[in-house]
Amino acid sequence: MKLRAIGIRKYLQVSSALIILGLLVEIVSLLWFHPLSFVLFAFVGATLIGLGILVYLASLVFAGSPPTENRG
Amino acid sequence: MTGSTEILVALIVVTIALAAVFLVRPSITVGVTGKILAFVALGILPALCIDAGMSAHMQRSEQTQFCISCHAMETHGLSLYVDDPSYIPAQHFQNHLVPADTACYACHTDYTIFGPLKDKLQGMKRIYLQYISTPPKVIVISGGYSNLQCLHCHAGARSFEENPIHSAMMASLTSNQVSCITSGCHDTIHNADQVENLKMWSPGQ
Repeated sequence: MKLRAIGIRKYLQVSSALIILGLLVEIVSLLWFHPLSFVLFAFVGATLIGLGILVYLASLVFAGSPPTENRG
Repeated sequence: MTGSTEILVALIVVTIALAAVFLVRPSITVGVTGKILAFVALGILPALCIDAGMSAHMQRSEQTQFCISCHAMETHGLSLYVDDPSYIPAQHFQNHLVPADTACYACHTDYTIFGPLKDKLQGMKRIYLQYISTPPKVIVISGGYSNLQCLHCHAGARSFEENPIHSAMMASLTSNQVSCITSGCHDTIHNADQVENLKMWSPGQ
């Protein structure tokens, strides 16, 4: 149970870190009026945010599965 | 920064603040409220930020100022101010036949369901040429300039339809067999390589 809880916490921390980083990149891309700003948003910002969401969804799957030590 | 961009930045800041809660204290997801908050902060709001960000960037890339912010497009932007009505882009821009703030996009997008996406991919190719490969000395549109981009506005217009030359070759024009701009009829386009030697129109003169 403890191991599972620690795992979820790590997932959430990684997820939020990726999302925060991606959102900061998005802010920079919105304030930067340059042809590369779209590239920065699409390939860096959106990718980081998307990864963060995926990690969060993975944490839901992880939380939904029965803990390993209770099986059997 | 426009009003919608300001709202988007505010939304992003709120999302960052909420996501930061889970970076510092992930244990709050033990309770039901924490779980719901996590779903909103790490699922719903970031997805909303991606969607709104994409929309904002798509809208911004339609602006004339955005197009000519690329060095290779500066002379094309300048050609909109040529003081000669035979220059088709200049005539359209100066007489507001196209919206001045989205002048490039008005004539350089495929008016199909995937048009803006196709244009973005073309834009990506140009960015690749500009920053990674070598940009061409003369910029040409791959596949040529489609008449559909002219007909999007001109088709159905009385002055266009009642013109005897147009009506005589309407089928060829609509099927793109005869080009509006390379058939000798309306062939004075940007001429970007000569534009710096031409007389310019100054708004408000």
